[in-house]
Amino acid sequence: MRQLINALIKYKNTLLYLCLLIISVVFLNQQSFYHQSIFSNVALVFSSNFNLAGKNVSNYLDLSESNKKLAAENTKLKALELIHFNEQSPNNSVIDTFGFEVFGARIIKNSYNRARNYLIIDQGYQNGIELEMGVISSDGVIGIINQVTADFSSVISILNRDLKINASFKKNGAYGSLSWQGNHPKRMKLDDVSTLNPVMEGDTIVSGGMSDYFPHGIPIGKVFSFEKPELEGYYEIEIELFSNLTQKEFVYVLKNKKKDQLNQLKNDSG
Amino acid sequence: MTRDNLISIFRFFLLLFLQSFLLNKINFFGFINPNLYLLFIIVYRLDGNATLLIILGFALGLLLDLLTLGSGGHTIASLSIAFLRPFIIRFSFGVNYDVPMGMIEGSLLTQRLLYLSLMIFIHHLLLFNVIYFSFDNILTILKSTVFSSLFTFILVYISFGLFKEKND
Repeated sequence: MRQLINALIKYKNTLLYLCLLIISVVFLNQQSFYHQSIFSNVALVFSSNFNLAGKNVSNYLDLSESNKKLAAENTKLKALELIHFNEQSPNNSVIDTFGFEVFGARIIKNSYNRARNYLIIDQGYQNGIELEMGVISSDGVIGIINQVTADFSSVISILNRDLKINASFKKNGAYGSLSWQGNHPKRMKLDDVSTLNPVMEGDTIVSGGMSDYFPHGIPIGKVFSFEKPELEGYYEIEIELFSNLTQKEFVYVLKNKKKDQLNQLKNDSG
Repeated sequence: MTRDNLISIFRFFLLLFLQSFLLNKINFFGFINPNLYLLFIIVYRLDGNATLLIILGFALGLLLDLLTLGSGGHTIASLSIAFLRPFIIRFSFGVNYDVPMGMIEGSLLTQRLLYLSLMIFIHHLLLFNVIYFSFDNILTILKSTVFSSLFTFILVYISFGLFKEKND
């Protein structure tokens, strides 16, 4: 305290000068319109730069919020895209008229290095998720819901040896069943494609309409290599997936709105 | 001491009114006005209270601006020159200056001229910088500073004679 007073006494002239200078500047600001405009201009430059910096910081902190918004918007767009897609492919119109409802979700746990991989997403039955709904991402199939809690669901990844998915060639509709061999997160095997069908490397594989989980035509991957055995009537085809399951964040859950009708039909005929 | 104070107060108001009602209306060559009120700060006792001088310089400039409806340049300039005066004195007369009663007696002519010209030039530079307040007018500022300083310098030097005779 004593030092503070000493310092005040030592620099009293400078302090007095600065105080009076501030008063003079205020006076100047009031007296002259020209100076007022220059001061307000400088103030504007300062404040806009400060506001910009603050805005940048708050934008950065709001990123998760805006991510959510974008994901919600993507959900809507995905639904529109699927509707559009269904309208555009008339060759399988009977199966394609199934309506699908789309939910957006975020992956909170993902594994891809085990023989049986599962994902966990942050939507549960409170959000309308049910068992055996299909899960896709922006560029391919992810898996099928197998357990649901109030707020979370677990998804059997397509990188799971127990899961087989119906898939077909985009060019001619020849179908087979897709399964994972458990060695590489981007390679899968397509079985049961008859050798009657022509196969080329690079052919696009899409989800087939014969599953209850996915609508027809969701892109899955392309033919990486294939072998035509001499004795059997089926190809051995290796598929390279379009989507990289090791770096997914947002997914879409598909609800087949007419699944109960389909099940009823199956039960009746079975 | 009391007489000195009375003379100071008298000088303060004399210079203030002289400046505001006469000298600011000269407009020599259209733009040159001598700022004789600076004389008050110049002849203030060299060993006088510096804090008081800062307040007086501020009051002088403020009153002058109010009387002449100025923009506030005189306030800032005379306040600043009152604040800077101890440094200018030290620079002009050396660290061990020993001239308590004004600098008319007992100082070298060159030191006196240096002191005067520094005080006047810095004051005018500040004054015109504040009045124009823009880098685009730097030439105008310099021109006004130089010519007004010269004019003020002449007037101040003449006035010294008056004060000297009065003091004796």
